Amino acid sequence: MPVTVEVPTEKWAGKVIEVKLGATKEEGGSRAGTVTVGGETTLPFLTFEGGIPNQPVVAAEVWDVEPADWSPVLLEAWGNAVKDPVVWAQQAAALGAKLIALKLRSTDPDGQNASPAEAAATVKRVLAAVDLPLLVYGPGQAEKDNDVLVAVAEASAGERLALGLCEQSNYRTIVAACLGNGHVAIGRAPIDVNMQKQLNILMSDMGLPLDRILMDPTTGGLGYGIEYTYSVMERLRFGALQGDRMTQLPLINTVGEEAWRQKEAKAAEGVPEAWGDLAKRGLSWEMLTATSMLEAGSDIVVLRHPNSIGIINGVIAKLMGR
Amino acid sequence: MGLSGLEIYKQLPKTNCKECGMPTCLAFAMKLAAKQAELSACPYVSDAAKQALDAASAPPIRLVTVGVGDQKLEVGNETVMFRHDKTFYHAPGIFARVKDNQADAAAAAKTIADYKVERVGLQMAAAGVAVENASGDAATFAAAVQDVAQACDGALILLSKDPAAMAAALPAVADRKPLIYAADAENWQAMVELAKKHSCPLAVREAGSLSALASLAEQVTKAGVADIVLDPGARSAAANLAAFTQLRRLALRKNLRLVGYPLIGFPGEAAASAEEETAFAGQQVMKYGGFIVLDHFDPASIYALLTLRLNIYTDPQKPIQVKPEIYAFGEVDQNSPVLVTTNFSITYFSVAGEVEASGVPTYLIVSDAEGLSVLTAWAAGKFDAEKIAKTVKACGIADKVSHRYIVLPGYVSTLSGEVEEELPGWKALVGPREAVDISPYLRRTWPTIVGKR
Amino acid sequence: MSRLIAAAAIRGANGVVAQASQELEAAIAAYGPDKPVAFPNTAYYLPVTLGFMGHRVERLADLRPVIKHAKELLHPVPQQRLWLPYLGETLDSGVATLLAEEAIEGIRFVRGEEPQKIQAGTDVEGADDSGLYTLNGPIDDVQLRSWGIQLVDGRMPGFAAIVGAAKSNEVAVKIVRELQQRGILVFLSGNVNGRSIIDQLLEEGVQLGYDTYTVPFGRDTISAIYALGFAMRSALTFGGMKAGQARDLLLYNKYRVFAFVLALGEVDDLKYATAAGAISYGFPTIADTLIPNILPTGVTQYEHVVSMPFDEIPGANDLERAEKLVQKCIEVRGVKVKISKVPIPVAYGSAFEGERVRREAMRIEFGGRASSCFEYLRMLDPDQVEPGKITVVGPGLDGVADGGALPLGIVVDVAGRKMQKDFEPVLERQIHHFVNGAEGVQHIGQRDITWIRISKTAVAKGFDIRHLGEIVIARMLSEFSAIVDKVQVTLYTGKAEVEKTMALAQAAYRDRNERVAGLTDESVDTYYSCTLCQSFAPNHVCIINPERVGLCGAYNWLDCKASHQINPTGPNQPVPKGMCVDPVRGEWDNVNDFVYRHSNQSVSRFTLYTMMDAPMTSCGCFECIIMLIPEANGVMVLSREDPSMSPAGMTFSTLAGLAGGGLQTPGMMGVGKYYLTSKKFIPADGGHRRIVWMSSVLKDSMREDLQTMFSSIGEPDLMDKIADETVATSVEELLAVLEERGHPALTMDPMF
Repeated sequence: MPVTVEVPTEKWAGKVIEVKLGATKEEGGSRAGTVTVGGETTLPFLTFEGGIPNQPVVAAEVWDVEPADWSPVLLEAWGNAVKDPVVWAQQAAALGAKLIALKLRSTDPDGQNASPAEAAATVKRVLAAVDLPLLVYGPGQAEKDNDVLVAVAEASAGERLALGLCEQSNYRTIVAACLGNGHVAIGRAPIDVNMQKQLNILMSDMGLPLDRILMDPTTGGLGYGIEYTYSVMERLRFGALQGDRMTQLPLINTVGEEAWRQKEAKAAEGVPEAWGDLAKRGLSWEMLTATSMLEAGSDIVVLRHPNSIGIINGVIAKLMGR
Repeated sequence: MGLSGLEIYKQLPKTNCKECGMPTCLAFAMKLAAKQAELSACPYVSDAAKQALDAASAPPIRLVTVGVGDQKLEVGNETVMFRHDKTFYHAPGIFARVKDNQADAAAAAKTIADYKVERVGLQMAAAGVAVENASGDAATFAAAVQDVAQACDGALILLSKDPAAMAAALPAVADRKPLIYAADAENWQAMVELAKKHSCPLAVREAGSLSALASLAEQVTKAGVADIVLDPGARSAAANLAAFTQLRRLALRKNLRLVGYPLIGFPGEAAASAEEETAFAGQQVMKYGGFIVLDHFDPASIYALLTLRLNIYTDPQKPIQVKPEIYAFGEVDQNSPVLVTTNFSITYFSVAGEVEASGVPTYLIVSDAEGLSVLTAWAAGKFDAEKIAKTVKACGIADKVSHRYIVLPGYVSTLSGEVEEELPGWKALVGPREAVDISPYLRRTWPTIVGKR
Repeated sequence: MSRLIAAAAIRGANGVVAQASQELEAAIAAYGPDKPVAFPNTAYYLPVTLGFMGHRVERLADLRPVIKHAKELLHPVPQQRLWLPYLGETLDSGVATLLAEEAIEGIRFVRGEEPQKIQAGTDVEGADDSGLYTLNGPIDDVQLRSWGIQLVDGRMPGFAAIVGAAKSNEVAVKIVRELQQRGILVFLSGNVNGRSIIDQLLEEGVQLGYDTYTVPFGRDTISAIYALGFAMRSALTFGGMKAGQARDLLLYNKYRVFAFVLALGEVDDLKYATAAGAISYGFPTIADTLIPNILPTGVTQYEHVVSMPFDEIPGANDLERAEKLVQKCIEVRGVKVKISKVPIPVAYGSAFEGERVRREAMRIEFGGRASSCFEYLRMLDPDQVEPGKITVVGPGLDGVADGGALPLGIVVDVAGRKMQKDFEPVLERQIHHFVNGAEGVQHIGQRDITWIRISKTAVAKGFDIRHLGEIVIARMLSEFSAIVDKVQVTLYTGKAEVEKTMALAQAAYRDRNERVAGLTDESVDTYYSCTLCQSFAPNHVCIINPERVGLCGAYNWLDCKASHQINPTGPNQPVPKGMCVDPVRGEWDNVNDFVYRHSNQSVSRFTLYTMMDAPMTSCGCFECIIMLIPEANGVMVLSREDPSMSPAGMTFSTLAGLAGGGLQTPGMMGVGKYYLTSKKFIPADGGHRRIVWMSSVLKDSMREDLQTMFSSIGEPDLMDKIADETVATSVEELLAVLEERGHPALTMDPMF
C-alpha cells in the first residue's frame, strides 16, 4: 500500500532584518545600485518553506597596500592588480563580486601608518572607480580604527558604506561615525551567541537602527575552529527565525582572510604529498570555508581568490535553485 | 523527547548486578537516557520493560554498515538536526566513482584506496570506491568490480540498475559487504533478492516524491531487507538539500521509521566543475549526507573535504585539544619571546594566528588545561601556577632561550606571583588579554622589556 | 514650578518675541523680504527653527511664520494670586524665546553684526590691531561632526552653556578650567551689567576657540541660542531624526546629550526665558545666585533649576567654591566623568594583580598577624560625600621602620543616584582587585581580615597611604559609573581610631550577613538569570534565587542584581517570578517562560525546589553534584575537589559528563556548595535529611554552617550519620553504614 508522507515544513515567526548597502545618486551616494542582504524567513537555502528575498552575496577583499604576507597563490592569481586598490577593485567587480571589502591596511601603525586623510582619499578613489557598494575596514587597531573610520565616514558621507570592525571594547566611535554620516556598522563578537547579542544591543542603544548593523561572528578557518563559527551561526539564525530580535541581523564572514592565512593555503614545500597541489588546495580551503559559512547562514562572504568569486557565485545560485 | 534516566530506572531490575558494565542500575539508566548505552547491555531486563523502553531507545535512523573489518563504514544512528543540539555521530563515507569501461579503473581505485592523510593525530581517508556499470554490460561490470576490489581494500558501492549486471558482479565481492545501488520502482524485487542472497545493504532510489520513496522503502523492508540506504533522486544542489533535510526531519521529528535510513548523494552530478563538486560535497557533509560519491578525486580537494568532515563531526561539547608542547613560529632564537596558553584548540588557533601575523619569531608553550580556554581553565583550576610551571619545566624551553621571561595571558595576571614562586629564576610577565593585542605586544612591548634587561 | 520663575520666563519671552518681530519688520523694510538669511558653514539653516518647526529659513520673509508661531506660544504673565502649575506655559515660553532669539541672530547676520566683535585690547591674543576680538558665532558643521562624534561615543562627557559673568576673573578662570579638565565642552555668552565671562577670560589670557574646547558666542544672552542650535544639529545628525520631529529631537537631547546651563550672576527675565527653553531640551540650569529651585524631576533627568548662591557655597575661598559649583553642575545633569588614569606614582594595571610583595622587599604592612586592618564600603547621601576627597587620619609611614606595620582602616563612602545599600558588599569586594593593580602593592583578604603590603620600591617612588584612596576612587568611578556618582575615602592609621571604626564596620558586616540570611525567596518577586556559561553550554540557564547561589558558587542573588545594574545588557537579567504554578516544587510561569526562551527553547519547565522533576540544568562549572541514591532513599553530595569513587559507582568527572552541558537530568543536579546550607535545599524532596553521603572535604570546610543548619531542623546528629568516602564508596557499604548509624532517610517516604 502506498505510503503518503507529509513533507514536513517549518513556519518561522521571525525574519532576518534587511540591510541595504550602498546608496545611489538619488539616495545621496554615487553607487550604480545597492545591495540588500538579509530578509530570510527560513534556514539557509530551504526555500521550500520560507523566503530568501536576497540571496547571499560575495564580497571581494581588496587592500590599499600590496599584501606582503599573502599566499603566493593569491599574489600570482591577482598579478599586478594588488599594487593598486583601484585596479584591484575593478578586476574584482569584473569577476562578479557584488561588494568590495576594502581594507585600509596602509594605516597600520606598525606598518606604513598612513594618515586618516590619506585613507579617506583612497576610499574616495575606489568609490570613483567602481560602482559597487563598499565595506571598509580599518587597520584593526582600536585607536587607529577610530581615527581612520571617522575620516572615511565623513569623507564618504551618504554612501552607506559598511564600516568595521566594532567590537565590545571599541564600538562607540565607529557607531557614532555611522550615525552621523549614514553608514552601516559591522560588529564582531568572539564566536559567542550572547556576546554577539550584547554587542548588537550596545550598538543599537546608541541609536543605530538594526537595519544598519551587520554581524560578524568571527570566522574560524577550515581546520581551525570552523565548527565553532558554524554552530554559533546556526544558533544565531535559529534565534532570528524564532523571533529573537537581537539575533536578526545579517551575517558576514571574513572567509578569505581565515582560509588563506592557514598553512594549508600557503605551504607548497615540506608538506605531505597527500595535501595535493598548493594552488588547488588553497582554493579548496577558501571554497569550503565559504560553503560552510553559507550553509550556516552567512549573508556576505568576503573572499580573496579571484576564481573563488565566480565559483561561489555559482554555488550560491545553484543552492538557491537558480 | 526520550525518557529521563529516572523513568528508565523504574523499568530496570534494580539489582546493581554490574553486568552491563555500569556500577549501578541508575548509572546505566542515566547512560541510556543520554543515548550513551544500549538497552541490550542489560541481560536481565524484562520483556515488558523492553517493550516500554525500546520505543524510546531505538535509534530513529538505522545504523547501516558497508564493508568489513578495518575498512567497514558505519553510517546512521543520528539523533539531531543540528550539531549544536548534541553532536553528529557517524561521519559520511567519501567515495570516488570509477567506471567499468574506464581503462585504468583498477589503478584509479588503488589511488583512492591508498589515499591517507593525517590531521591532529587522526588518520583520514576516503571510505572506498563506487564502481559504475557505465558499459551497460554485465560481464564488463563483473570484471571491473573484481579488478577494483582487488586493487582497493576499502568499502565498495556497486552502481547499476540492471539486476543482471549486479547479479554478475556480486558473488565475487559479496564477502566485502558492498552497498548495492540501487533498487528502483522497476527492479526492486530482483535487487531485494540479491541483497538478501548476499546479505548486502541495499540503496533505494526513487525520484518521484518522498511518498513514493517511502512506499518503495516499505516494500523493500517488507520483502526482508533491513539495511537500507535512501536516494531521493534529487540531483540539483537545492533539491537535494531540501530532500535530505525533509528526510532527516521525517526520521527524527516524526519518527517515521520508513525513512529512518542513511542517505546517499552524488554532488558531482549537479556541478559545473570539479570545484563546484567539492563545494556541494561539503554541503552534503554538513547537511545529512551518509554516502557521498565523487566524480573527481584530487588530493587537494579531498584533504579539504575530509578536514571539513572532521570539523563538523566533532562533538561540540568536547573541546578539541591541541598537543601540549612548545610550538615555534618563525626563525626563533635564544632571544625569542616565550608565551604560554592553554590547549583549547580555539585558544591555540587565535593565539597562534596572531603570533604568526606579528612576524615576530616566538615560542608558544601550550599547557594542558583539558581543552579549556584560559579563563575557564583558570576558574576550574586547570590552568594554575603549578600546572604552568610544570609545563615550562618539562618542555625544555630553558635550553632554547637565554632569557628567563615568560608571558602569561592577561586574564591570569593574578598568577604571575605564584608562577614566579614555582619557577625560581623566571620572571612572569603579563601579556595582553585578547589575542588580537598580541601583535602589538610582541612588536612594541616585548622589545622594551628585553631592552630593560 | 515656581511662580516667580514662570512669571519671569513668560515676561522674558513676551519681550524677546516682540523685539524679534520688530527687528524683522525693520529688516524687511531695509533689505527686502528676499534678502538671504543664513548662518555660515552649516547645512541646517536656522537649526533650532528647523528642528522645532521643520521650517527652512532661507530669506527674511521666511522668518515671518517663525515669529507668528512664537507669538502663538506666548501666554499672559500669571497673576499674583494664581497658584496653578505653570510648567506648560513656561515651557511654551521657552520655545518661543528660542525661536525669537534665533530669528534675531539671523537678522543680525543680515545686518553684518555677527559674529560679534568685542573691544578686548591689543594685548589680547587673537585680537586685531585695533584691539577687536572676533567671537565665534555659530559652530560650523565640520566642528559639529567632530565634537558630535565625541559626544556620542562618550569621549566628551557633555557641554556647558555658561551665561553671564562670574564673581571675579579668578572664579571665571577656575570654573572654565574645572570644566576643561573633565573634557566638557564650554560655550560662553551673556553678561551681567555689561560684563561678560568672555571679557573675564580674555583679560586673564585664557585662550578661547575650538582648540581649547571653549567657544565664545557673544556678550548677550541671545547668542546662547547657538548652544541650543548645536544641540539640535547634533540630534539631527546623529539621532537619525528628521527636521520637525520636535519631540524626538528633544528626547534625544534629554537622554543622550549631557548638557547644562550655568547662569552666573543675576538672572534677568530673558535669562529665565532662555533657561526655560533649555529645560525643554532636558538641560537643567544651575545658577550661582539665589533663585527658586525647581527640584521635582520630570522634563530634565534630574532637577530643573538649582540655585547655589556662590557666597554660601562651603569652602575656604572662592576657588574652592567655584570647584564645588562645577561639581554640582555635573551631578545635576548626571554627567559621568571617568578618571582614565589612576593618579599614583607607581605603574598600575592588571599586569600587577598577581604580584607578591615578599617580606624582605616590604616597606610596610597592614593587617595579617602584624596589626589589624579592615575595609568597609558604605553608601551615604550625596551631600555627605565630597567627591574625590581622601583623608588620612593618624600617623604616616615615616615613623615606621622598614618591614614594620601599622593598623589600617579603609572606609570608602560612595553616593550615587542608582546606588543601593545591597550593592555595598559587591563593591567592597572589588577593593581587593583595585588595590592589587598597583605595582608593589599586595592585597589579600577582605572585610576585617584584609592584609596589605607595600614594597620598598613603591614607597621609594613616592607611594603613600593616601594613594590607596586614589586607586579606590579612580577605579570605582571607572568600573561602576552606572551606580556610583562620587566616592570619598578615609584611611585611619591610629590604633584607637582603627579600633573604633572597625567596630562600626563589624556591625555593618553583621547586618549584611543577617540581611543575606534573611533574604528569602518569598521576600522578593524577581530572581536573576545567569547565562555566562552559554558559550560552551548553549542551552544552559542558571536561575539564581536568594536562597540558592549559582551552581558555580560565584554569584549570589545580590551579585546578580548589582551586576544587572552595572551592565544592563549583560548575562544577569531580572526574571520576575510571575504566577506560582507549584509552590512545593518551586515552579513559576514567568521563570518557565524565561528559561524556555533563553535555553533555545530546549527546557520548557524549571523547578527550584526539587531535583526529581525539571531541575535546573547544569553547565559544567558546578562546585558539587547531588545525585539520587535510590537504594538509600536519599542523595549524595559529591564535591568537585573529591577525586574518590562515590557510592553511585562513578567519580565526579564521570558524573559531570552525564549531567553537564546544559542538560536537564532529573535525579542529578549541579549546585554551589553553599546551597547545602540553604533552607531551600531540595525542600520538595525532603531537604537535608535526604543527605546520606557527602564528600569529607565538604564536611570539613563547612562543618560549622552545616551543623547550624542541621540543628535548626532538629537533626543535630545528622552530620555524624552522613557517610563519606572514608567509609563508603559503594551502595552496599553505604547502606550498611546508614543502617548502623540510623540515618533518618531510611525511614522517610520513598523519594520517587
